[in-house]
Amino acid sequence: MKFTLVIFSAPHSAEGAASALRFARALLASGHNLYRVFFYGDGVHNASALEAPPQDESHIVAGWQALQQQHQLDLVVCIAAAQRRGLLSASEAERLGKPAANLAAGFELAGLGQLVDAVVYSDRLVTFGD
Amino acid sequence: MTLHIVSKSPGYSNALMDCADSFVEGDILLLIEDGVYALSSLPENIPVQAVHYLKADVNARGIVVTMEYQGIDDTRWVELCCQQNPVVSWFK
Repeated sequence: MKFTLVIFSAPHSAEGAASALRFARALLASGHNLYRVFFYGDGVHNASALEAPPQDESHIVAGWQALQQQHQLDLVVCIAAAQRRGLLSASEAERLGKPAANLAAGFELAGLGQLVDAVVYSDRLVTFGD
Repeated sequence: MTLHIVSKSPGYSNALMDCADSFVEGDILLLIEDGVYALSSLPENIPVQAVHYLKADVNARGIVVTMEYQGIDDTRWVELCCQQNPVVSWFK
């Protein structure tokens, strides 16, 4: 079955981000397909390359990156939500005249159209709140 | 039939009551995260056999479940999402 996950929760500020990663691992381990993960609102912080949690805490960004590498996941970050929160790709940072970029490898910025596409082509949409 | 996922404590969110208002026969309730605090006081219109909770989230909070609710793991959570449609998350 094809799943899409929508994540509103930032890591370390609400439990939804960790629950979403656990759920993604479980569904992939069960042989299902993860069509897309859409990071929206404060969920865009899941894609920050600058997250540096203490070593004895879970590193959710790295968790998504590992899963992305293993399963070639489509990790999409809402571009409008990302810009508002200072999460920029190299090209967006240049375009907006900002001094640095921080979009982690394995994630990409895109618009809400990618969420609409995911709703159309997925069997299930599961939302993780903030 | 809907899978309702409630992730907030009834102590500071209306998520559970909003869910209960739209709950119909055949639906399933899954309590996750702080939603598991609702296990001690669930709305009367949600039948006992419809109530599921994430065991990991209950254990993390030291909650003792006395009713015949179903404690599940993440794999079973995925199965419930396949079995029910749509999957609705309540978190406000």
